[in-house]
Amino acid sequence: MGDYKLNRRKFIGMTALAGAAFASPAYIRRASASGGEVNIWTYNDFVPKSFKKQFEAETGIKINIRLVDDQGKQFNLLAAEQPNPTVDIMTVAGHRFLQFIDSKLLAPLDTDRLKNWGKINPTFSESDWATINGEKWGAPILSGMEVLAYNSELVSMEEALTWDTLFSDKYSGQTAYIIQDMMSIVMLMLGYDGNMVAYLNDPDKAAAIVEEAKQFLIRKKPLVRKYYDSGAEVQQMFVNQDIALGHSWNGPAAALINDGFPLGMTIPREGSYGFVYTYNIANNAPNLDNAYTFLNAILASPEIGASMTKASGFISTYKDASKYLTDLEKRSTSFPEEQLANLQFFRAEANKMKYGLVDPAVEAVKAA
Amino acid sequence: MSTEGSVSNDREGPVKTGDERSFWGRLANWGPYQTLMSFVTISPRRQFFILAAFPILWLLTQHLGPMLQMLRVSLLDAYPVAPDVAQEFSLESYFKFFGDPIFWMPLFRTLIFAAVFTLCTLLITYPIAYFLARHVSRKNQMLLLLILLIPFWVGEIVRTYAIMILLGNTGALNLALKWLGLIDRPIPFMYTSFSMGLGMVYLTALYMLLPLYSALEKLPKSFNEAAADLGAGAWSRFRKITLPLTIEGISSGCTLVFLISTGFYATPVLLGGPSTTVFAETIAGFFHVAGDEWPTGAAFAVIMFIVALLVTGVFQRLMKSLRKGESS
Repeated sequence: MGDYKLNRRKFIGMTALAGAAFASPAYIRRASASGGEVNIWTYNDFVPKSFKKQFEAETGIKINIRLVDDQGKQFNLLAAEQPNPTVDIMTVAGHRFLQFIDSKLLAPLDTDRLKNWGKINPTFSESDWATINGEKWGAPILSGMEVLAYNSELVSMEEALTWDTLFSDKYSGQTAYIIQDMMSIVMLMLGYDGNMVAYLNDPDKAAAIVEEAKQFLIRKKPLVRKYYDSGAEVQQMFVNQDIALGHSWNGPAAALINDGFPLGMTIPREGSYGFVYTYNIANNAPNLDNAYTFLNAILASPEIGASMTKASGFISTYKDASKYLTDLEKRSTSFPEEQLANLQFFRAEANKMKYGLVDPAVEAVKAA
Repeated sequence: MSTEGSVSNDREGPVKTGDERSFWGRLANWGPYQTLMSFVTISPRRQFFILAAFPILWLLTQHLGPMLQMLRVSLLDAYPVAPDVAQEFSLESYFKFFGDPIFWMPLFRTLIFAAVFTLCTLLITYPIAYFLARHVSRKNQMLLLLILLIPFWVGEIVRTYAIMILLGNTGALNLALKWLGLIDRPIPFMYTSFSMGLGMVYLTALYMLLPLYSALEKLPKSFNEAAADLGAGAWSRFRKITLPLTIEGISSGCTLVFLISTGFYATPVLLGGPSTTVFAETIAGFFHVAGDEWPTGAAFAVIMFIVALLVTGVFQRLMKSLRKGESS
């Protein structure tokens, strides 16, 4: 091994290089590198590890993932970065499309460039929420819904067929829910449109309905154990037996079922709401061609859809994905027809009015 | 094996010629370096400004800068905004707080919680600090302090999860009580003001302990011995000597713990229940849940900052007058 002599010029050069490297956030370094990569903001497990490895090996395009856990955070990050975003693909829920589109943060999807577009179940790819201003804005990948999850050793399935059980004295101190989500469900329980689209032209009625739902939740506050925020929290509460039943997204509940936890879930008879996660291309995406290559690849096979379901617990939007699930996984991601009939999708048309009323109501419930 | 000559060299140290000087030696004799050093050290005032430059720059960019940015955001009508959308200055976010009493409750609750938990932390840590400073030999004090510091080697979230493991329905405490036959069904410790309080006291104890230990350790033992010689009992000695002379430590510890407690977010979220919503949760909601209203969240953060400073100011004044009262 030869002697290495550190002269002054080398020292200054190396120091400057090291300083520059440490000073720039990793994702900026990646984003500014030339080609050969695609930058994705998505939830944990939404890009299967095996797919990522294979895609990178076959295309030479490196996938850089930044994990997100909230739609609002994605919106804020992207809004702050525009018009030169570092991201190519994000994961927007269908009912949040309008907010992103109105702020010019998304690019319309050119489905002609996606030869595997047809592999998505048309229930999701062609439904009314998926087309806005005559354009498609995202490729549906996973579908979720608000369910009533219950510990099957403590609560019977018959009891779990109604949201009333969540607010019953019998399970006082053993329930949990996300208030913001429950506001829509309570409106549904009370016989109203939780999407509030029906009251777009009647803001007074909308305000009265939100007030009624708010008062309902304030009355029921002594019965609830915890208002929670994330799927991981409700999983932990079930595992620790801190709660016997709770409102949940089906993904975290299904993940527990697949792990062998005695959990069941229903879409109660009063109804509930569903949502669809989509992959979307950012306006001014720095690696547009790579983004389309990624989308084409991830939509290519129902096995990929199935592995996304296995990891996240959400239901795949791919045709025939269920063929690649085990019986337990199929059970944890499917519902009887009569329960599915109670489901409707979240809609975005009245979001501005709805959340203008719901957000202060949520704070009022917390503060009460 | 060494020769005579080499032994002699070892004793006298290596003799270096001009070419064999170390890096630092060569640097010290390097012309541009000498010019720079003479420029820097030409006057005490210049030395002061050059030395102060980095700390001042740090304070401005890392402390004051983000706070000013938060203040700016709180005065905007929208943030962040998409390209081509104009922003205007507005006080609307402040009016939202003062115009709607529903937002006052979490702020008052936060202040009350912070005050109560600060008092609890003081009551718990004072005897520990007293024992450490007054009854443990100096040799063992460092060892015990180190043992007390061990939990603080890990982050806030990990320690919060440790509390969850301890207090959950299937946690260590309930299992122990069940094993002892004291309970049949688990006691719901979690998601209550008790679990939140325990977590916050645990997380802030160090910030109270160290100033108290420092104040108690400086207190000469001869003061108490003299008082005892004059017939003062233990309680009188504590009340009239130890407590007044450690009031500086109490004041510093309480200020630190109170300010930290008002800003806690993760601990109340993870350990608290429906009746323990604190203002930090309300603020966070505006940043990512409630309609993504950054200006409102920023305005609420500014309000909280000012209120916490006001309360701390009042507390410091109270402590100052107490110290004056004791000394006069």
